[in-house]
Amino acid sequence: MTEIGQHQGALASAGETIAPRHHGDLLIAGPLRLRKGRVHEVLGDSADMFAIIVASRLSGHVVWIGPAHDVESLAPTALQAFLDPARIILTVGTTRNEVLWAGEQALRAPGSCCVVMELRDGPDLTASRRLQIAAEETGALGLTLISGRAHTSAAQTRWVCTAVETPAGGWHWRCIKSRQGDLGAWHVTWSGGEDGKPWKTGTLHLAAAPSP
Amino acid sequence: MANRGKRVLSIWLPRLPLDRLMRCGDARIQGPFAVIAEIKSAWRLTHLSDAAISAGLTAGLSVPDARSICPDLLTEPHDPVREAGMLRGLWRWADHLSPWVSPDPPDGLLLDITGCAHLFGGEEGMGKSARQRLQDLQIESRIGIADTKGAARALARFGQSRVEIAPPGRTIESLRDLPLDALALPVDTTADLRRTGIRTIGQLYSVKSSELARRFGLDLTATLSRAVGQTPDPVTPRSADPVYAARMTLPDPIGLLDDLTGVLERLAASVCSRLAQAQKGARRYHLTVRCVDTGDHVITVGFAKPTHDPAALLQQFARPLDELRIEFGADWFRLAADHVEPVQPRQTGFASKGEDEDGAARIVATLGNRLGFDRVRQWAPSESHLPELEFTSVEAINRDAPPVWQPAPRNRPIRLYRRPEPLSAIEPGRPPGKFEWRHQIFTTEKASGPERLMGEWWREDSTPQRDYWRVQTTSGLRLWLLTYPGLKTSDWFVAGRFP
Repeated sequence: MTEIGQHQGALASAGETIAPRHHGDLLIAGPLRLRKGRVHEVLGDSADMFAIIVASRLSGHVVWIGPAHDVESLAPTALQAFLDPARIILTVGTTRNEVLWAGEQALRAPGSCCVVMELRDGPDLTASRRLQIAAEETGALGLTLISGRAHTSAAQTRWVCTAVETPAGGWHWRCIKSRQGDLGAWHVTWSGGEDGKPWKTGTLHLAAAPSP
Repeated sequence: MANRGKRVLSIWLPRLPLDRLMRCGDARIQGPFAVIAEIKSAWRLTHLSDAAISAGLTAGLSVPDARSICPDLLTEPHDPVREAGMLRGLWRWADHLSPWVSPDPPDGLLLDITGCAHLFGGEEGMGKSARQRLQDLQIESRIGIADTKGAARALARFGQSRVEIAPPGRTIESLRDLPLDALALPVDTTADLRRTGIRTIGQLYSVKSSELARRFGLDLTATLSRAVGQTPDPVTPRSADPVYAARMTLPDPIGLLDDLTGVLERLAASVCSRLAQAQKGARRYHLTVRCVDTGDHVITVGFAKPTHDPAALLQQFARPLDELRIEFGADWFRLAADHVEPVQPRQTGFASKGEDEDGAARIVATLGNRLGFDRVRQWAPSESHLPELEFTSVEAINRDAPPVWQPAPRNRPIRLYRRPEPLSAIEPGRPPGKFEWRHQIFTTEKASGPERLMGEWWREDSTPQRDYWRVQTTSGLRLWLLTYPGLKTSDWFVAGRFP
């Protein structure tokens, strides 16, 4: 009996040590929230817009890591409608491993609030677990933008973001996987930002969308 | 001419080792005496006293040969450290001639005397006065004055008189009759040139530089154009700033990572505490590790802002130290701070913005030291109407203050492809009704345009006129299509993607 009790105690204490530290949720708009100190995966043709809008809700530096052609194609002229371009640190990684390494270092460094990694195929369990541990240390929010296929991973949530053709523009955001269990789909539009400091005046509008 | 109006004075001290011994009161110099050095695996004479020269000896003779010619010859091995010390002393002494002095080791000084000569009654007066003062110090000297460093050096060493002056703008004429050695070229190049029959600098300048470059390499033509002032070659004064460095010599070599870290910790503590005391920080640190078998290895780390924090130093050095291959151990270490700049002490606690900047600087340092600082960048706005030139990116380590962004006057895409990606039109039109891009088929639902942009005609590499169309596809993507109306072919490209 005592042995079992000890085992249970050991398990309980082990469970406490591996339980992730809670850094709170980031409120994006309405019911839409992302957990801080975790890594989230984003797929779809407008995944970068998801990252930019999430980053605009945070304050602090945004480290944007990816292959040269992806990072260099990002244009601050349009981006400044959403957030201050001076907050973004661009980093070019020539190989997938370099991108993941840089992402882990940036997540671990104090002072970065959001780390965006552009990858072709999603990180596997080992890689995403490493990223999760790094993010937990500082409470930074990690986003992996996946242009190819996503693999089974330790990501907190997985989103599919596509542009929709409506007069107002906007995007369709669908949460297809979540550790907390709340899935959903939203139609998201952005308005504002004409004069002065544009990134301060924009607002996000949210409407529930049917999940296809 | 690149360095218009510059005047350079070169002081050559032909008997520096002998003069040093003379000033120390060495009486041997009165008789046959020579300073010797080990050259080509033999001890050879380098500097000779007057009596030795009159006995028939010349520089370059080996000591046994010289002894057989002149049995009374006394010799002394040269002492590079003390001679360099003497040159350093003279470098400070030369401050009274010009504030812009650089040592020209092993036996010379270079002074930028632009605008100084009139204080001594002209260039000739300046040269004579400098020579006289050196003579009072029992130091023999020769002086050359010309428009460039190379020419002044050549005139000091090979000129006819003791103070040789090339009038402004007449550098080539004054160098014409000097031998090739005056250019201080590598020995091999000089020998090769001599083999082709070229003896003087004048002959060299009469050969086409393209032919010289083809045969002897670009170094030769670069030296030549520097000597006549076609490419600038300024006198760089050595900085008088204090050196922030520390070194450690160990009785036995070490090789374990923990031991190396321990050494680095002590060196960093010493250097950083001195920097902190002076309220300074360094942007770059060099660590020299001298291995017993493979010689010196220099590891350099950079920082995005001046730093004197030993912990940050250790963190950045951890990885390169780990990668360093030390097989038989290292016994000599030196840590030197480079790019030293003042740091302002800052109040901690209230200023969350400052901490933010600190964090960003640390990220930039971490990523840059591994990936290279050219790959960690930030945007800076720039003035242009062409979409790809509306912004540039600068190395994040070099950016001081965040730039001010003006709101975009026109609608621009969020992704702007540096090289527009060609699409294949399935249904032709302006813009195409249906097209394939990145292995996907898109149908145009709505299109607006064209936005016609001219190239920057005042630039030589201006691009042709172009038409941009905003296209809403049925799949939702908003693309920016591009075509060149001036060209005969009507190819279409995807220039970018809107948010």
